[in-house]
Amino acid sequence: MSSGRCAACRYLRRRCTQDCILSPYFPSNNPQRFASVHRIYGASNVTKLLQRLPTHLRAEAADSLYFEAQCRLEDPVYGSVGLIFLLQQQIHSAESQLIKTQAEVAVMKSQTQHPQTQPFRAISGSNNLLLQQSDNDANLSFSNQVSSGFI
Amino acid sequence: MGSGSSPCASCKLLRRRCAKDCIFAPYFPADDPHKFSIVHKVFGASNVSKMLQELPVQQRADAVSSLVYEANARVRDPVYGCVGAISYLQNQVSQLQMQLAVAQTEILCIQMQHHQDDSALALPTQMQHHDDDDYKPFLLPTTHNLDNISQYINFASSSNVIQDPAATVKRESLWT
Repeated sequence: MSSGRCAACRYLRRRCTQDCILSPYFPSNNPQRFASVHRIYGASNVTKLLQRLPTHLRAEAADSLYFEAQCRLEDPVYGSVGLIFLLQQQIHSAESQLIKTQAEVAVMKSQTQHPQTQPFRAISGSNNLLLQQSDNDANLSFSNQVSSGFI
Repeated sequence: MGSGSSPCASCKLLRRRCAKDCIFAPYFPADDPHKFSIVHKVFGASNVSKMLQELPVQQRADAVSSLVYEANARVRDPVYGCVGAISYLQNQVSQLQMQLAVAQTEILCIQMQHHQDDSALALPTQMQHHDDDDYKPFLLPTTHNLDNISQYINFASSSNVIQDPAATVKRESLWT
């Protein structure tokens, strides 16, 4: 019954049984999905990994394996780890910008509360704002940003 | 490494002779058997060998490091592997973007408030400083203010959340 084979069994040129563990997650209408996963992990490793998981978690596992396989095919050196590194950089950059912006807000609020100290003129969101101050009794509160540690 | 007397961790695990040109030997020394064991468990020795063969020699060390990392992540979390960390980090980026948007909006509001106060006091226009090249026209008459809000609400484009696994960056090394 070759027309009923899943993508995995079709790729592996074998009979697809009723209890084929791969068929729910590698349907025949998406052969590229199994090809990617097979190329990086191998059919046997994927099968073993899925077998060790409870049934209700296998779909998520197959999806994440496919995602990582795609990352690895597109970036053979770093794979999905390259994406992690990029996100960490984005977080560091965002945290710095946020701290700067929140500091500016604090300074501006302090100027609003004590207008007699110095006439306030808005300058674009940059460090120039902080350098304008002579008596800075602003209560600068920097929110604690969650560090980008993972795993 | 690669000598007849001391097989690398890979060849030891695979129980084969470690040739002088063993592709694994430089990256899986005998004193760290766990490293190859975990990579073999997740990817398989033959797949790792093929991946390394397809790379120039100078990139193989980084490739091995990332494979080890991914394998460890997969063993720790068999369902999500590295994708778990990626989701977590993407979530952090989104939260920071929102916080930044809020802070930038706050700046806008304060500046608009100051402008209204200045207008109410009928300050002479000569006293308004527009000499900063980066000065954004917040203090233009109110009818123009809304046109400029979007550039301050939007986060810098470089920090957009990665949606596409194809968006990777080439770099020297992650492992220094």
